[in-house]
Amino acid sequence: MPHVELLPNSTSTAAPGWTYVVDTGYDPSKVAINPKDRKRTAARPGGARGENELSARQQTAIARRIAELDRDNDPKQSISVPGKLAAPKTQNARRILQYQRQIKHWLDDEEAQLSQQQQAPIPRATARGSIATAGPRRQSTMASIPPTPSEATPAPPTFAVPAPPKVQGSSMSQEDALLSTASAMPPPLDPAELQALLSAPSLSYAASHVGPPAPGGPPQRQFCDNCGYWGKIKCLRCGARVCGMECKDAHEATRCLKWT
Amino acid sequence: MPPRGSKKAVAAAPRQTLVLDNGGYSIKAGLVSTQASTPPSYDDCTVHPNCIARSVRDKRTYTSSELDKCVDFGELAFRRPVEKGFIVNWEAERAIWEHEFMGGEGLRCNPKEANLLLMEKPNCPKELQKNCDEIVFEQFEFAAYYRCVGPTLNAYHPYDPTETSLSALPQECLLIIDTSYSDTTILPLYQGQLIQSAVRRLAVGGKLLTNYLKELSSLRHYNMMEETYLLNEIKEAVSFVAPSTQAFIKDLDRTWKGRLGDKRELDSTIVVDYVLPDYERSVHGYARPHDPVKSKMRRGLQPLQGPREDLLPLGNERFAVPELIFNPTDIGIKEVGLPQAIMESLANLPEALRIGMLANIVVVGGNSVIPGFMERLEFELRPLVPAGYILGLKKAEDPIRHTWLGAARFASQPELLKNVLVEKAEYDERGSGWLVRKFGGDLK
Ligand SMILES: [Zn+2]
Ligand SMILES: [Zn+2]
Repeated sequence: MPHVELLPNSTSTAAPGWTYVVDTGYDPSKVAINPKDRKRTAARPGGARGENELSARQQTAIARRIAELDRDNDPKQSISVPGKLAAPKTQNARRILQYQRQIKHWLDDEEAQLSQQQQAPIPRATARGSIATAGPRRQSTMASIPPTPSEATPAPPTFAVPAPPKVQGSSMSQEDALLSTASAMPPPLDPAELQALLSAPSLSYAASHVGPPAPGGPPQRQFCDNCGYWGKIKCLRCGARVCGMECKDAHEATRCLKWT
Repeated sequence: MPPRGSKKAVAAAPRQTLVLDNGGYSIKAGLVSTQASTPPSYDDCTVHPNCIARSVRDKRTYTSSELDKCVDFGELAFRRPVEKGFIVNWEAERAIWEHEFMGGEGLRCNPKEANLLLMEKPNCPKELQKNCDEIVFEQFEFAAYYRCVGPTLNAYHPYDPTETSLSALPQECLLIIDTSYSDTTILPLYQGQLIQSAVRRLAVGGKLLTNYLKELSSLRHYNMMEETYLLNEIKEAVSFVAPSTQAFIKDLDRTWKGRLGDKRELDSTIVVDYVLPDYERSVHGYARPHDPVKSKMRRGLQPLQGPREDLLPLGNERFAVPELIFNPTDIGIKEVGLPQAIMESLANLPEALRIGMLANIVVVGGNSVIPGFMERLEFELRPLVPAGYILGLKKAEDPIRHTWLGAARFASQPELLKNVLVEKAEYDERGSGWLVRKFGGDLK
């Protein structure tokens, strides 16, 4: 048998702390059928958006849960390497084979190093025109470190090329930017620009994550924390959503406040 | 056919190359010769679990392919040397490599007489690259070595599969989507060279999907938090990607139990019961259409005599789990979905390259095998692509081993290999700091 346990799935004590979310217009099924509707909802002042805002505590809880889902190894489990292995052949090898660090530590080191480099004065020749300095990149919840103001100073590029336009904080999405040029023939490849692109160094791990959805897009979909259906009722204690009274009871018996 | 005229140049380097795509979940490996009479094929590639597993039941430890002999995956714990796609724990990785490639069985590679072509994920921290290079030369003592971002070598596949000549390669524009165990990455390649500043990463990979399914099943049915192996097996057996957001909404409705006093019949064209293995008579489980009567007979209600079944009903879990690749915000990951991520990557390129990339997209990695994945990607990507652009999107013939085969084709050509290999003597002279810069393209 796999290791399985039956879970309690309901409780008779109904704790206070629940509220029905006033439905201010976000109905996922309607949004999908009539996409125009979502723009109106988002534009309406004091509309549904307030309901979707999370407290700092809720955000920490979500980040912890995601980190848990993304974990490769369980630090509580130690599995030793079986059998006898030959001794390390050099000092370097001995040190590296003994490391018990996790990826988190290496990524933290990388970010710390990058921010140190940024505080150091940047030589003039490399400060300008590098394609790799593609502007600040937004961080996802997966980054273990606060956002860095810009990428690491890259190796001096051979060609000075203006950084490609990066639309940020403007109402024009990147897709719109692509569309606006579609009618004309694309300009031929500029060899200098191409050379700069190809010689640009890699981004740091944290900087390589894609950005969050553009503001003004459809709001985040909310699901029942218990059964996965739409979450229309919000738990005042932890902010989770449930679909109805039955799942509300189950949520309280199991997961309420688990991640806080 | 091995190219001619390069005999002298390669005389120093060994003729055999160990080609390793060292993934977080599995290692794709094979020995490739520069003198074989036929080009390398999928048959030359073996896939090994990249882990050491420990069973609390039989108290055995399984290294990599020894897992083939395991018959009880209950509460099996895993130690994985690769985290977020990068080799982090060399103690475990070394044990696995020695077991699979340098032991009495398997590939029987003698590193001192072989080259190593090691593939890594993009955006690897430099300190980890340095550790890797030091272990390769100082511990394993490979004769010569090249480390690069694995998916870039997909440019060495013939564009037309019936075309056997490799002379027109690398392909000019190629956009690789690698949706694998650790994450999903977008890699634009020009003439086989990675455009580093446009590489983008989505946090969602197969590992996160398995862990999410494990969490959901444990919340809704049984505590299965120790059953990673089983939940991965279930994920592979039942997952599908809804073809569109509208279809997702419909399916969510059809799998809802309803409200108290207004119970709904679950749609058994979607809801399945997964019959869990008992690890006595069965090692693997299987899914069958949901049967409300049988699923009510939970443990304890079944007769003590005769066969007992443990059923895990799966409804919206089947499609809400892989949905995370298209809507990471569904669980609060602050990232756009894969189609928008592709456009974000391409926004860093001049228009002429964008056009070339969109016309040549190849998807690799295990998540692309989930039914409906490609259809959904195309459905959502098409409206984002400007009118008049060609969208060419295809899944690799073998998404798991495609990158390995690209690398093997590269490694079978002595004149390509000679340009990139670094010999041990040169490493000994110049050191690991130099080598990290060299492989990073910072020298020359
Ligand atoms: Zn519910
Ligand atoms: Zn709660």
